[in-house]
Amino acid sequence: MRSSWISRLPSFLLVVFTYLFLYVPLFVLVVFSFNKDPFPAPWSSFTLDWYRELWVSTELWDAFKTSCIIALSATFLSVLMGVMLVFFLMKSVRVQRILGIFYANLVVPEVVLAVGLLSMFSFLHVELGMRTLIIAHTVLGLGYVIPVVYQKYMTIDPHLIDVSMDLGATLGQTFMRIVMPLLRPALYAAGLLVFIISFDDFILSYFCAGSSAQTLSMYIYSMLRIGISPVVNALSTLLLIISSICVMLFCYYNVRSKLL
Amino acid sequence: MAKRKRRNIGALIAVKNHWIQKYLPFTLGSLSLVWQALFFYVPLLCVIVLSFTGDTPYAAFQGFFSAVYVRIIVRSLGMAFLTASMCLMIGYPFAYFLVFHTHRLRNLLLFLVMLPFWTNFLLHICAWFFVLDRQGLLSYLLQKLGILSGPLMILNTYWAIIIMMVYFYLPFMILPLYTALDRFDQRLLEASLDLGATWWQTVTRVLLPLTMPGIRVGFLLVCIPAFGEFAIPEFMGGDRTMFVGSVIKHLILGAESEVAGSAFTLISSLVLVIVIGMLYLIIGRLVPSRYEKE
Repeated sequence: MRSSWISRLPSFLLVVFTYLFLYVPLFVLVVFSFNKDPFPAPWSSFTLDWYRELWVSTELWDAFKTSCIIALSATFLSVLMGVMLVFFLMKSVRVQRILGIFYANLVVPEVVLAVGLLSMFSFLHVELGMRTLIIAHTVLGLGYVIPVVYQKYMTIDPHLIDVSMDLGATLGQTFMRIVMPLLRPALYAAGLLVFIISFDDFILSYFCAGSSAQTLSMYIYSMLRIGISPVVNALSTLLLIISSICVMLFCYYNVRSKLL
Repeated sequence: MAKRKRRNIGALIAVKNHWIQKYLPFTLGSLSLVWQALFFYVPLLCVIVLSFTGDTPYAAFQGFFSAVYVRIIVRSLGMAFLTASMCLMIGYPFAYFLVFHTHRLRNLLLFLVMLPFWTNFLLHICAWFFVLDRQGLLSYLLQKLGILSGPLMILNTYWAIIIMMVYFYLPFMILPLYTALDRFDQRLLEASLDLGATWWQTVTRVLLPLTMPGIRVGFLLVCIPAFGEFAIPEFMGGDRTMFVGSVIKHLILGAESEVAGSAFTLISSLVLVIVIGMLYLIIGRLVPSRYEKE
């Protein structure tokens, strides 16, 4: 028993160091959000001033609102389209052969997609702004939603659907009463994933936003370009809390989707 | 008369229902396919078409066959592969430990790996400023321990870029590896060792081939975005060293020359695809993958 413990020690140390590597910077970031003096100065005293400053910054809240609207719409659109595709799958299974086209979203570098979308929008004289961002993020989201939803649909026993249809339910009823409840946890998980990816996305937003819309990522980017301000630390502390809630929900739904 | 009319309407509804049943799923379902085609494949085509719309069809490409741009592409490739390899070297033992040596804490540990992946990466850049700065945490610790006499000058070097890249892309590597190892039957290792294989043989002939799909996915997930990265080199490298992402950004958004920008995008993505394809062929030869099919 002792020897196995010693043989595990190197890998145990590796795990500990990896967690230190992942979390020490975040910890420092959070700690310095409560520091009275801005960064190059060492720790002086505890303050909540930076949070107060964060609270009154209108530009920040505008950016936050824009990000939320874009992320919510992109999530809604991509999940809705994913669900409707399942509707189609119930009718003809042949469609699964072409689902491979969605896997390309994960393989093509985001910069390339951004350049393509930008050139297409400028060719069609579409004004850049929130609409173009929603379109771009929905494409990004489809790449995550469709594989998840499809894989979940494939785990549903096809006899259930056959039985329901044989017993006189219409396609719509079967969908709402049989398929949807089984699919729901997977949909929540995929939706959360798309939301956070869209919310945190930087490259697509940077290229496709034009000058009218500013997302939170772009706001942080412009702030970082000026220099580090403790306001960014305060903002990151808040965002970390939001993210942890999202990940917890995601894990919860993911576990449920595997159990059911 | 009325009765007949009602019957007609009934028939009409039946026909309509039939049509709905037949075509509605198709129309609804194809929406995502149309969206994907319009806003994913058409833009990619746009990049290709736009590249050839210079004064002469190949005019846009001619400027890029110089040593400067070749060096930029090679540098980006090198950075992407270095990041992916380092992530693999840290991530594989890490995922292995997580899957086989933790029991109750596993979900919590996995959650902690996922958390950074779900937060805005610009915040991570900001966080690393605090660690790597001349007056930052690392500098302070190293000076306190007596390892360094002066302040640590790591910001604005390749080291800072690599550390940041590995930090940011590590979860992308760990998650697929975790999934692959989770499916792996640990008894196979015991069986292999019992049957007289050495530790090295067990790893190269049993463990690696069976978890190859996870390694492959992880490598792709790290390599591809790392190749086009421009924010990390910009902040960590101090905007001095150019990478593929920064060149694209400057051409498209800075100089307003979309043709040149898309030509460079096309060239660099082709290089990436070719190099990754070749790498996979080589790895496929080196590691026997005949078990994968079963």
